[in-house]
Amino acid sequence: MTQPARRQPFVLSLLLSAMLLSGQALAAVSDQDILQDPKNPEQIVTNGLGVQGQRYSPLDILNVDNVKELRPAWAFSFGGEKQRGQQAQPMIKDGVMYMTGSYSRVFAVDARTGKKLWQYDARLPDDIRPCCDVINRGVALYGDLVFFGTLDAKLVALNKDTGKVVWSKQVADHKEGYSISAAPLVINGKLITGVAGGEFGVVGKISAYDPKNGDLLWVRPTVEGHMGYVYKDGKAIENGISGGEAGKTWPGDLWKTGGAAPWLGGYYDPETNLLLFGTGNPAPWNSHLRPGDNLYSSSRLALNPDDGTIKWHFQSTPHDGWDYDGVNELVSFNYTEGGKEIKAAATADRNGFFYVLDRTNGKFIRGFPFVDKITWATGLDKDGRPIYNEASRPGAPGSDPKGSSVFVAPAFLGAKNWMPMAYNRDTGLFYVPSNEWGMDIWNEGIAYKKGAAFLGAGFTIKPLNEDYIGVLRAIDPITGKEVWRHKNYAPLWGGVLTTKGNLVFTGTPEGFLQAFNAKTGEKVWEFQTGSGVLGSPVTWEMDGEQYVSVLSGWGGAVPLWGGEVAKRIKDFNQGGMLWTFKLPKDLVAKH
Amino acid sequence: MSWRILWLLACWLPLAAHAASIDPGKDPVPSVMWAFYHKQMLGDAPFVFDDRVKLLAPPFAEDARQVPLEIDARAFKGEVVKILAWAELNPLPKIVDFQPLDRVLPWLSIRIRIEQATPLRAAVLTRDGLWHVGSTLIDAAGGGCTAPSVVRTQPGWEDHIGEVLGARYPRNDFSRLRVQVAHPMDNGMVSGVPEFFINHAELRSADDQLLARLELFPAVSENPNLAFDIEGAGQTRLIIRDNSGNEFDASIP
Repeated sequence: MTQPARRQPFVLSLLLSAMLLSGQALAAVSDQDILQDPKNPEQIVTNGLGVQGQRYSPLDILNVDNVKELRPAWAFSFGGEKQRGQQAQPMIKDGVMYMTGSYSRVFAVDARTGKKLWQYDARLPDDIRPCCDVINRGVALYGDLVFFGTLDAKLVALNKDTGKVVWSKQVADHKEGYSISAAPLVINGKLITGVAGGEFGVVGKISAYDPKNGDLLWVRPTVEGHMGYVYKDGKAIENGISGGEAGKTWPGDLWKTGGAAPWLGGYYDPETNLLLFGTGNPAPWNSHLRPGDNLYSSSRLALNPDDGTIKWHFQSTPHDGWDYDGVNELVSFNYTEGGKEIKAAATADRNGFFYVLDRTNGKFIRGFPFVDKITWATGLDKDGRPIYNEASRPGAPGSDPKGSSVFVAPAFLGAKNWMPMAYNRDTGLFYVPSNEWGMDIWNEGIAYKKGAAFLGAGFTIKPLNEDYIGVLRAIDPITGKEVWRHKNYAPLWGGVLTTKGNLVFTGTPEGFLQAFNAKTGEKVWEFQTGSGVLGSPVTWEMDGEQYVSVLSGWGGAVPLWGGEVAKRIKDFNQGGMLWTFKLPKDLVAKH
Repeated sequence: MSWRILWLLACWLPLAAHAASIDPGKDPVPSVMWAFYHKQMLGDAPFVFDDRVKLLAPPFAEDARQVPLEIDARAFKGEVVKILAWAELNPLPKIVDFQPLDRVLPWLSIRIRIEQATPLRAAVLTRDGLWHVGSTLIDAAGGGCTAPSVVRTQPGWEDHIGEVLGARYPRNDFSRLRVQVAHPMDNGMVSGVPEFFINHAELRSADDQLLARLELFPAVSENPNLAFDIEGAGQTRLIIRDNSGNEFDASIP
């Protein structure tokens, strides 16, 4: 296969690398770099390959015809006794790769050779409270700094060349159950982060900081009734109560410990100037204790990045009783219908429904199931609100220690969990890493105690099929049709990447990084990384060659909460590695 | 490395002419490492072994994790640019880079970790660009740098990080400020425990004038003990920063 169109970038990149080698000063990451990512194929400076989080690379040096020649270039160990739970997406800037490892660590590695440039290990207190393993999902880059959030809920800025701490700020109190596991993002000169801790009855919030010095700029609570603030010259100025006032969708004082943690961070849509964040489960899990919709739990929020004001919300699971967090990424994309361009956003929810929203106002366009079995709701109404199957809500315990148990699908770990899907602009399809599983769930009495688990529920998770749990699906967001599926024995827990080369990449807990034909779903390449792949793969161009990188290192939530599923995964071994592959130059011409 | 750059900038030019003519004298302690550290710490700059720089340490380290060390360069009062101290045979040799400025005497007391019997050095840079090296030997059973922290075995240690205990003790024409800072000073040599240590401290007066600046290294003991001699009265502030970016600010009488 010949590709004359490749010549120009190839020469350009050679020129660029020659300039780098000649000692030209390296540019700091700017707002423009971030907004245009991944237009410059030599760098990845956003989580999601672009602020919209489409995870689509315009590179096609590597394609479905030559992917079988993709081979490892180097590997890098996360070392020592901290191998498990590698979930980050690497970033690449000026030939350096930046990523987090588990246990709140950051690494900078030479992208050409895999040589470690520096490592930062946060010193964690003994009483951190991550609900779901010691993972982290990556860094943000801006200026000369590298940012990440820690398991004890700090935001830390490191010098990109030395790894030394430039500043560190406590975002929230880890003793109350707060932690940070998502990658922060920088939009228009503001560093924005969410928090985790919905299992401890924290109050979710989204905060913006000055990347230069860590000064707090605004904070927006994600539970109705809590005041938001903007900060000027160190002074807090009231900026409106989230939801207007307390008590509209929560009974009594429950909103004070309402959860709704935006633990997966968010993305940004430049066309509407909106931050798009998801929020987690309401606390406690026992829904009988909190009649009402419990805003803004299990929702998608659109925020003004300047001051954190909520512009619109869409609640996927009102009055959630199954831990169906609404955190999953809301990915902006445009499509044409009846000659009109629709500014849409799509999300594949924990609750099993795939939603397409109008991202200018949050209105529901359409929704449909993306897994085979959903029992908690029979469908969605015209506004996208679920039509509940009341028999699938676990009973109130009353005076018994335990309420009636029900079998529900999907399981609380979700039809899709944190692992980000990808949207391919050429095929118009979303590639969704999903899982087919259900659970027995029952409610129990619970009272809030600071820093203690605030669930009021018990559960055990069960596979729905003997031969698979994970299903990678290609979904048409316009028709709701599943175009293809690829089954996997263990539950999928890794992010997805798609490219102009008609490729879809994702990893499996069994340790394979796999590539699929984006149009047909045919598996066209795989590589055994030695441990389960939970990370999100990336691809970029360097010295005229296309590279692919992914973190490997089994861990995360599944082995901790796995119930009967644990049998399928108990023999998976740990091993934290960063794998980098490339298509050698001389093999591009061959095909 | 930055020490070396500073040295080059500040001192190399004026001294270059007569560098060769300075006789350092005889090393008062047996050392296999002097040439190495002369290069690494002092950038091969001109120096003299000088017994006017007094380095006081017990002959034997009873507790290798908490060895009291006193550096006394008061013989060079008014002339001192900075004082570097290190323990030659420690795996992490650097102890402190101390710059006494206004009103603070060139004297420092500090507690350190010793991994094995070792020469200790304090090199005092005077304004004329010459390093005056004070030396002593300490014997030890060893293990002070690789033993697990005592602080960390106490529940709730995280709550007390950065707490400062301190007081001023009047002498004749100065007063001694003694402080203890709660901090594990993890040096990264205990498996599974990353580096976590105070790396910077400033002593300031009530009117925010800088009195002394210190760069600290993980050879300093956990819960560091420091003492300074200060001329004149008035409240002082100790500002501390660790390598995790935590900042602490303590007022001391």
